[in-house]
Amino acid sequence: MTATQADDKPKGVVPLREGLFRIPKSPGEKPAVIASRCPRCGEHFFPKRVVCLACGQVGLEEAYLTGPGKIWTFTIARDTPPGSLIQAPYVIAQVQLPEKVIVGSVLSDCDVDSVRVDMPVRLVLEKVKQDEEGNDVVALKFRLMQ
Amino acid sequence: MSDSRVVVLGVGLVRFGRYPDKSPEDLGREAGLAALEDAGIDFKEVQAGFHARVQNVVAAGTSTFGQLGQYGIPVTNVELACASSSRGALLSADLIRGGLYDVCMVIGVEKMGRGMLGGGGVGGGGAYQVQMGMFLMPGLYAMMAQRHMHLYGTKREHFAQVSVKSHRNGVLNPNAQYQKELTLEEILESRMIADPITLYQCCPTTDGASAVILCSEKYARQHTTKPVYLTAWAGGTPMYVSGEAELSEGPNAVLARKVYEASGLGPEDVDVVQLHDAFSPGEVLGVEELGFCKHGEGGPFVWEGNTEISGKKPVNTDGGLLSRGHPMGATGGAMITEITRQLRGEAGPRQVKDPKVALLHNAGLGGVNVMAFQV
Repeated sequence: MTATQADDKPKGVVPLREGLFRIPKSPGEKPAVIASRCPRCGEHFFPKRVVCLACGQVGLEEAYLTGPGKIWTFTIARDTPPGSLIQAPYVIAQVQLPEKVIVGSVLSDCDVDSVRVDMPVRLVLEKVKQDEEGNDVVALKFRLMQ
Repeated sequence: MSDSRVVVLGVGLVRFGRYPDKSPEDLGREAGLAALEDAGIDFKEVQAGFHARVQNVVAAGTSTFGQLGQYGIPVTNVELACASSSRGALLSADLIRGGLYDVCMVIGVEKMGRGMLGGGGVGGGGAYQVQMGMFLMPGLYAMMAQRHMHLYGTKREHFAQVSVKSHRNGVLNPNAQYQKELTLEEILESRMIADPITLYQCCPTTDGASAVILCSEKYARQHTTKPVYLTAWAGGTPMYVSGEAELSEGPNAVLARKVYEASGLGPEDVDVVQLHDAFSPGEVLGVEELGFCKHGEGGPFVWEGNTEISGKKPVNTDGGLLSRGHPMGATGGAMITEITRQLRGEAGPRQVKDPKVALLHNAGLGGVNVMAFQV
């Protein structure tokens, strides 16, 4: 599977799921996680939610988080689970962004055995399949910054 | 809560394994009859039932309990994924201690078939997680294990040793799904599933059933001279911790503290333990969270043999989920069954020497239950 930068193809790119990440619409815009921010205590959450888990505030603001982050923990999947578009071996990681929020996703192609906790990663959008209309379907992944 | 104690009057199991020719109701009936026989009472005596099953649960409790008789009692389905039947016991205990009933029964059943279960991804939603390859149950425990390795230097051998011990104990348990020893090398060299968890560090899928009869102290006096007491219990769901991934199924350490405080016991008093080892890291993390060793020392604690039957904190003497098997709805009841047999001194070749206090920890995607038992 070829890694495709979404901003190379501003047309015909659709998200694997709406509401989780932002596909850049202009050259200056970065891929971002769509999170919630609490207007009262400032805590961030992903995916979006309505009630703040830290202070109980009802009604949170949308926030676009662009990273980079660091690997909080991870595992290497050696078997491809049923229904997965990602083929083993691959790394599932819990990534902590500067706003402290944890975002789970998979790492972009890498030497899976080299991955360690605390490694810095950046957000990327990669094609995971093509839909019936010929659009590139993209998802948020993380790429090791080395 | 009042101070009156709750008694485990009877326990029963259908040997964990594969039953292609039996229905869940068949399995539940067999376990139920075994528990009634163990308690020495008739089903007519049971005043309320809890039925624990995770898959195909619509009105399942009514049909399973109906196998034993129809006396119009309330039967309630309890579903907390892998922690279902211990919650049934916990709710029974609440009702008995509250004086509403004298006798309650929990039947846990599951027929799972073969193959890997999904579950355990974090963030995002169901279908998206599946497509992104994040819906992988060992993944959750694997990520807890990797974090532990990073923070404390825990080694993959430490996790694998849990499975060595569990399989050795399983050989001593006629009700275990697997009764075969495995060496450390065989476990480490089995197929890698989710690093550091190899295949033989994953619990199997299992068919099986368990049943537990709980009663008031007053009722127990007429039916047994050797009661096993359930003295304290607590159940819960995950608590939010800022900046950390939500990997744990519940606040294990908080619940254990509650149970210790309510029973007047400490971790040093516990003689035998059942804890949730769906994957081998479960025991390494569990012995820390239940207070048997300091945080970060779970790996060496297991490696040095402390959780062996002859060790100072015997854990999963019946083989645990890894070797006894894990028919999800039945697992909590199987844990109570093993603890009861240990505290009665009926555990045969896997008997811990003269245990007085036991602790149970059963965890699932639906929450965690911790219970203390005493004789």
